[in-house]
Amino acid sequence: MTLSLRSFMRHEAVLGILLVLVLFVLAQQSDKFFTTANILNQGRLMTEIGLIALPMTFVIITGGIDLSVGSILGLCAILLGVFWQNLGLPLPAAMALAVCVGALAGLVNGLIITRFKVPPLIATLATLALYRGLAEGISQARSVRGYPEWFFVLGQGEVLGVPTQLWILIVFAIGAAAILGLTTFGRATYAVGANETAARFSGINVDRTKLLIYTASGLVSGIAAVIFVSRVSTTRSDMGTGVELDVITAVVLGGTSIFGGRGTIIGTVIGLILVQALKNGLALSGVKGDGTIVVIGVVLIFAILASNLFSRNGDG
Amino acid sequence: MKTKTILMAAGLVLASSAAYAASWTGGDDLPTNPLACDATPGEVVAKPYDGGVPTNAPDRNGKKITVVDVPKLIGVGYFSATTKGQAEAAKELGNVDVKTDGPTKANIDEQITFIDNYVTSGVDGILFAANDPVAIAPVLKKALAAGINVVGYDANSTPDARQWFVNQAEFNGVAKSLVDNLAKEIGEDSAFAIVTSTFTTPNQARWIAEMAAYAAKCHPKLEFLETVEAQEDNVLSFNQATTLINKHGDKLKGIVGMTSVATPAAAEAVTQSGLCGKVAVVGLATPNAMKPYVEKDCVKSVVLWNPVDLGYAAIYVLRAAADGTLKPGDTSVKAGKLGELKVVNGSEILLGSPFVFDKSNIGQFDF
Repeated sequence: MTLSLRSFMRHEAVLGILLVLVLFVLAQQSDKFFTTANILNQGRLMTEIGLIALPMTFVIITGGIDLSVGSILGLCAILLGVFWQNLGLPLPAAMALAVCVGALAGLVNGLIITRFKVPPLIATLATLALYRGLAEGISQARSVRGYPEWFFVLGQGEVLGVPTQLWILIVFAIGAAAILGLTTFGRATYAVGANETAARFSGINVDRTKLLIYTASGLVSGIAAVIFVSRVSTTRSDMGTGVELDVITAVVLGGTSIFGGRGTIIGTVIGLILVQALKNGLALSGVKGDGTIVVIGVVLIFAILASNLFSRNGDG
Repeated sequence: MKTKTILMAAGLVLASSAAYAASWTGGDDLPTNPLACDATPGEVVAKPYDGGVPTNAPDRNGKKITVVDVPKLIGVGYFSATTKGQAEAAKELGNVDVKTDGPTKANIDEQITFIDNYVTSGVDGILFAANDPVAIAPVLKKALAAGINVVGYDANSTPDARQWFVNQAEFNGVAKSLVDNLAKEIGEDSAFAIVTSTFTTPNQARWIAEMAAYAAKCHPKLEFLETVEAQEDNVLSFNQATTLINKHGDKLKGIVGMTSVATPAAAEAVTQSGLCGKVAVVGLATPNAMKPYVEKDCVKSVVLWNPVDLGYAAIYVLRAAADGTLKPGDTSVKAGKLGELKVVNGSEILLGSPFVFDKSNIGQFDF
């Protein structure tokens, strides 16, 4: 454990240095980059991805993947609108219900994976289509608009000068880090990913662990949906298309092994900030959108290569 | 594809409690204003200015301004044409520095992020073609609050989130042109289907709603089958059109393409199915994409405005707004070679009537 812990630290150290380097270079390129207003604003833009990346870290540590998060986001967003506008529920109730649907969608993922032994990649690829199809069907492709002013506090307002949703992200990140690092559940998560059979024989309830993790993934996607709707003030069925890729990029960049058994929340958070800083900083220094995607791809490969190089030395 | 249809159907059943009353799918709920069945022009109703105003904008009169153009997506012929027009106008004016940057897919989340970053980087003007009229509003308002001149073209936002909108053609005018040409080609009591981008894309939804209203008024026997979504994606548009042909068989006499991607893809699908002359394709498209089909007599009429002129006008309008020569309450604006353009609908600038390309004139256009 200590050895693997050291290799975690190593990847995060590499990533941390890379982040500082990137921030430094980008700050040189544009004087608008390292301003409080811009940094807080970026926090606003990355909250939805950041929130979903937290449970995704757990999912990937167990050796799984959840491709349906973007579709769950879309489905919950649409249902929030439908519950509120078409069924006439009070908005807080609609918000709560939408989040519950998210959890339910995650639970379904978990059940398919644990009960029917469907590989997570295939199970969530199927529900990616399923949930998006439901979102499109339920919405009849019409958007819901005209939410009351107080609702926008969540996505457009601020508390103590910091965007509201950034507080939520911080609380969730600390919570997730504590669960993963300090609790038996966290250790069970690593055990499941490192060696599922061994985990079963050690008396860990593997299915329950996975079920909880996939449910949490859906639940958090639901919360992200509510924040997203509040940020853009309208509901569309195509919301969150492709979010899963941004989320997985942040998690993998953060050092979580796609084969399971390794990863930390702090790594995910650094990965998230790195991607967001690159997107924003490059745009501010005049690089066009297509160029930015290329740079992010290169950084991702570089970070993984660098970390592999160091950890091989460490293990060797 | 099939599974998706089944899933959508399942969703529709679930949503049946929230049924909507629209007669044609893919339209919006806004009130419609169909034109007269003959060629009587629509009335221009005077309306007070309903656009926004930038807060504490610096005096930009005559000064060089940096402008960023964020279209729905980049890399498609249509928005390359608007970019070309913008560059042309910027060159004429000499004091506008314009660049186009935007998402590679028509995605509102990404479009918001692009605009947000440009607001932070401190440009003087923003041109946009919205992927969603409401979702784009907060970030545009933020731009106005930062003193940036904001002008839309092609696809509008809510009026108070921008100063002006360059309207390429009024919705009822395009709708009339499409439905009239369709009825002329397939006959009054035939059936047709529509290929659109997505049901929530503002322009397409508006046109479909206006087409439904105009058809009900002037061509009541036309039979509407369905509208399918194709996301302004080439392959998807072709597949959707092919599916329509296979699904409806002989009943289908016409396909209306609502985007510059869907129309040529539908024409290709009809050609490959060997149904030229049996299934008519009418729609919005750029002439270059349609030339092969028009020359082979597979497509008779293509409806559009000139996107190069649209981009050109957008730059002139933005420049006039930045200079303060175009103020709320004005009734027209000078736009270089296009002459005086009319202000309609409070804060919209009308480019002109839609243009119908056919075999006799399509060779004269290159965009």
